[in-house]
This record gives sequence, C-alpha cells and structure tokens, in this order.
Amino acid sequence: MSMARQTTLFNRIEIAAAWALAFLWVMPLLYALWAGFHAPEYATRFDLFAPLTLENFATVWEQAPFGRYFFNTFILVTSILVMQFILCTLAAYAFARYEFRGREVAFALVLLQLMIMPEVLIVENYSTMSKLGLVDTIAAIGLPYMASAFGIFLLRQTFKTIPKELEEAARLEGCGPMMILWKVYVPLARPTYLAYGLVSISYHWNNFLWPLIITNSVETRPLTVGLAIFGAPESGVDWSIISAATLLAVAPLLVAFILFQRQFVQSFMHAGIK
Amino acid sequence: MLKHLSKTFKRTVLATAMVLGPVTLASAQQVELTMYYPVAVGGALTKIVDGLVDGFSKENPGIKVNAIYAGNYNDARIKALAALKSGKPAQLSVMFSIDIYELIEQGAIVAFDDIVETDDEKAWLKKFYPALMENGITQNKTWGIPFQRSTIVMYYNKDAFRAAGLDAEKPPATWDELVSAGKKLTKADGSQWGMMIPSTGYPYWMFGALTKQNGQTLMNGSGNKTFFDKPATIEALQFWKDLGSKEGVMPKGTIEWGTLRQNFLDQKTAIMWHSTGNLTKVKSSAKFDFGVAMLPAKKSRGTPTGGGNFYIFDKTTPAERKAALKLIRYMTSPERTAEWSIKTGYIGTRPDAYETDALKKYVVEFPPAAVARDQLEFATAELSTYQTGRVRKLLDDAIQAALTGSKSPEEALTSAQKQADRLLKKYR
Repeated sequence: MSMARQTTLFNRIEIAAAWALAFLWVMPLLYALWAGFHAPEYATRFDLFAPLTLENFATVWEQAPFGRYFFNTFILVTSILVMQFILCTLAAYAFARYEFRGREVAFALVLLQLMIMPEVLIVENYSTMSKLGLVDTIAAIGLPYMASAFGIFLLRQTFKTIPKELEEAARLEGCGPMMILWKVYVPLARPTYLAYGLVSISYHWNNFLWPLIITNSVETRPLTVGLAIFGAPESGVDWSIISAATLLAVAPLLVAFILFQRQFVQSFMHAGIK
Repeated sequence: MLKHLSKTFKRTVLATAMVLGPVTLASAQQVELTMYYPVAVGGALTKIVDGLVDGFSKENPGIKVNAIYAGNYNDARIKALAALKSGKPAQLSVMFSIDIYELIEQGAIVAFDDIVETDDEKAWLKKFYPALMENGITQNKTWGIPFQRSTIVMYYNKDAFRAAGLDAEKPPATWDELVSAGKKLTKADGSQWGMMIPSTGYPYWMFGALTKQNGQTLMNGSGNKTFFDKPATIEALQFWKDLGSKEGVMPKGTIEWGTLRQNFLDQKTAIMWHSTGNLTKVKSSAKFDFGVAMLPAKKSRGTPTGGGNFYIFDKTTPAERKAALKLIRYMTSPERTAEWSIKTGYIGTRPDAYETDALKKYVVEFPPAAVARDQLEFATAELSTYQTGRVRKLLDDAIQAALTGSKSPEEALTSAQKQADRLLKKYR
C-alpha cells in the first residue's frame, strides 16, 4: 500500500517536472506566436482579445528575399545530409568491422575533431574554399561539415552492436562487402540515421556565422542570414517583426517535426541520443 | 555532316570571340570593388544601401561595386578579416568605428591621408563633424570616415511630463533637474518609472555619456590608456547607481537594452536614454506626445558618438584605392548623407548636409532630428582602445557589478582599471 502510494507520488512529481520542462521549452515559441500575430503595441502586453494581424509577416517578407533563402537552405541541408550519410556510413563501416594498421590512431583523430569548435576554423576554412574557388557557393557552406566526426562515431557504435552472425549469414548467401553494408548494416541502423539526420538538419538549418562569412549573394545565402537583418543590436529589437521572421524561418522544420514526431521519438530511444 | 558541324563550330567560335572581345577589353579598364557593410538598426537598410550603390554605378560606369551585407558589426569584422587572410579581400568596408585599433594592429587598413592626393580630396577629410572624426583619427592620421553614426539622446514622454505637473517643453538639463523630475514622474504603484538608462548590451556606451557629463573621458587618443579609476569616473558610476538605489527614480539593478524602447512606448518609463538609431521607430510607434532632448549636464553636456565608419583595406591596388575613395566620397556627399540620415535616423555626418533642402525641410518638420546634431558639440569618442573587446568587457562587468550591488563603484572601477593597464601596457 505504502509502496503503491510512493510510486504514484513519484510518478506525479515526474509528470509535473516533465510538464514544467516542456513549458519552459515551449515558452519562447509561444511568445513568438503571440508577438508575431499581434501589432507591436501588444508585444509585451497580454490581452486575450487583442486583434490578430498578419502585417508583421508581410513586412518581413518584403524586406528580404525569403523565398530564395528558403530554397537555398533546403538545398544546403539536403546536400549536407546526403553527403554525411554516404561518407559517415563508409567510414563507420571501416572503423567498426575492418582490421587495418593505424585504425585506432585514425579513429582517435576523428574523435579529436569533436573537440574543436567549427568557429575556430573560420579563417582556415575560408582560405581553403578560396583556393578551391568556391567562395560564395552553397557547396562551400556545406563542405566543412560533410565528413562529420559525430556521424562517424555514432554509426560506428551502432554498427558494432550488430551481431557478426548476420554478416556471416549474408556472406554465405554470396554478398560482397558493399552488399553486406547495404543489406545488413544500413537497415538495422535506421533509427540512428533518423536521429542523426534530425540533429544534422536542425543544426545546419540554424547555422549562421559560417554561411554569412563564406557567402556574398542572395543566390547562395540561407534563411538565417536573412533573419539577421532584423537583429538590430543598436536600436533594440522590434519584437513583433523578429518573431514573425523567426516563425517563418522555423515553420518548415516545426511542421515536419510535428508530422513525424512519433518516428523521431522512437528512433531517439533506439539510437540512445538524448 | 562533319564539314557542316565544323563550319558551325567555327562560326560559333568566331561569334563568341566577337561578343566576348570587347567585353574583356572593357573589363580590363573596369575596377571592381567589394564592399562589406553591417546592419545595426534593423529593417530594410540593405535596400537603401543598394539604392545608393546603384546611384553611384550610374554615375561611374567604370567601377563595379558589390555591396555585401555582413551581419552585425562583430560579424562584419570577422568576415572582413577572414577574407583578408585568405587572399581574397574586399576593398572597403563599413565597420564599427571602435574597431580602428584592432584593424591597425592587424595591418588591415590604410590611412586616408595616404590615398588623398588633390587639394579637393584633402579638403574633403575636414568636412565632417570633429566629434565624429575622433574615433577615426589616431597617430595623426585618418583611418575611418563616418557613415552610419549615432549618439545617445534623451527621449521623454511629454504627456507624462504634463500629467506630473512638469513643463513638457523644458526637459531636465542638469543631473539635479533629472533627479527631481524623475521623482515627480515615478508613480508609487510601480506602473511608471521616472527614467531608464539601459545597462545591458552597451553599458560602457551609456557610461561614456555620464562620465563626459562629469568632465571626464574614458581613454586617451592613442588608445593605450584608460581612465576608469579617476574620481570623476567613479562619481559618475555612483550617480548611475544612486538613480536606482538611493533616489528611486529608476528600477534597481540592470535594465535591458533590447526591450527598453518597448518599455518607453508602453509608457512604463517617462524618460529613456537611447541611441538616435531609435528615432524613426519611436516616431512611428509612439501613441503619445514625445520629445527628444540632449542629455543633461553635470559639469557640461555630453555623449559618446557611436556607429560605423568606412575603412579602406591595405591589400588594394592604387586603382582600387582611388575607386574606393570615389565611392566613399559619393556615399558621404551632402545629398547622400541627407538621404541616408532621413531614411535611417542616423545623424548627418557633416554640417553641409544640414544645408541641403531635403534635410533642412526634414529638420523643420521633425525638430528632434536636429537635437543629435546640436549635441555633437558636446560629444566625445566612444570607448575604443587596443584590445578593445576585452577592455570594453572589463568596464561592462564593472558597471554591472556596481549596479547590482555586488561591488562598490570604486572597488569595481579600480579593479577594471588595473586589469586594463595590464592589457594595454605593451602598447605604450
């Protein structure tokens, strides 16, 4: 009896804490919704019956070529993701299943990359891109991120958990190494791919400084750069406008997340990224 | 068939050569300029800059200008320096006026004195307000030309002044008047404060105003010595702190820079000190009668200037420098300056801009626009030294420590001065 009571009490605390955390997390979004859809005079005042307006969105849309920026961001995140999947899968497969000289050192070097903040490398990356003649291209934004250390590490760990027997069975069926990777490892690591894909997409969707620095023109710049015009550090931000702009920028991601929410949550549980 | 193909091929080559020939010839004479610029006040400024550049291109077909938006002042500096080190630099950029020492130290920029040749060009260097040139001149040379410049002004709610029995046409002109007006304006129920001076974001900037009013500057003209522990500096910080903790006319602790304008528009404060960069927005959004005044005086009036200057990079050919100079002269001509000032709210950077019909008319229609100009007489340079980011952080932290009460003003500023001395010793 007392055990049961204790568990319910504990459960309740847990649920309350979960709600509190969820509320904290969703607050900025709720505020953005409020400020984005109301006139500026209601930006810091709550009035349930305040008139709704779309004017902020119209202003934002007019002040920067958001259509083009959306397109660029979409190309950017998908190309990065595809390349990351290809490169990380191959590298992780090698690290997980092949014995070769220097494997441990090579893997340590990959892990070392995890410790380096990409911002430190801005100048170096810029000169590399400039030597490649890629300054002001979408490829230049993505290239430094494609051989992702995090992705290699994550997939290697997942591949290692897959029983060798499956591989052997496939080999008996006459599969070569690439076929084994494609037919055995990749399908079994699907939750990891999903989880990693989500992390990658949201990171590159939101990345700002590097894209700003390596690009110059509307044709290559992503959404975040367009959003930055409204930052206004000197005069103080116009909250309604920046909320509307933020909502526009995050809307596709948000909608996608809500649509595929169940799959994402499941794959996160499987992949163990928390 | 083969013959026919090769004939077409020849023809195409010939035609291409004919089309391309003159183009390559023309581009040999054409100078291409890349200019970075930051946006610090929000909104469609990129379109205004594009408009100015288009105007220049029409008058100067031999010069092609790529004007590139580069984020805020911080981003713009990083972008410019990254491009510089990769060997594909821009030729000119608008950057924070206080970046001057870092840019000189990195050997990134060239002095305008080394570019101007004709008497006309030399005279042009003297056309700007001296207060705005302070941040651009050091080592007896001019490195920055003022472009998007602002100062701090006092915005006040005239309706609130009338309601409190104050003369709405006589805003406080001294520290004492400020305190006594603040007391009348502060409502006991907390619904309206007398005044707010923001203390996040750019505390050192607001503090530059208070110290200047108390007859003290924050640093020397060579950028290698700060005056944080001078008695007048400490007194100024004590006054700032007292507004909240002793006089009770301002909220205690720190006040957010980013939400202050909204607080003023929502009438939560009757007075705010803020950048002139807010003028256009306050004008369009205020639902009450508001006024703009110079900041009040202790020993004299005073404000720091702020904002961005034009710089020309060192890695440029003589032809590019000439072209860049031409572009900057165009962008800072009286007519363009007037247009820029009216559209953005930045101050006109030279006296003759206020002689143009456009700005004359604007000032008559909207007198607050003249306040910032008149205040320039009492203005001083914004805090700028070698290692400027770190020195500024020291002062910011000291100010916030004093305002929140974790240190006394004297303690906080003395320790900031000591650390600044350590940073700046090698530049003396």
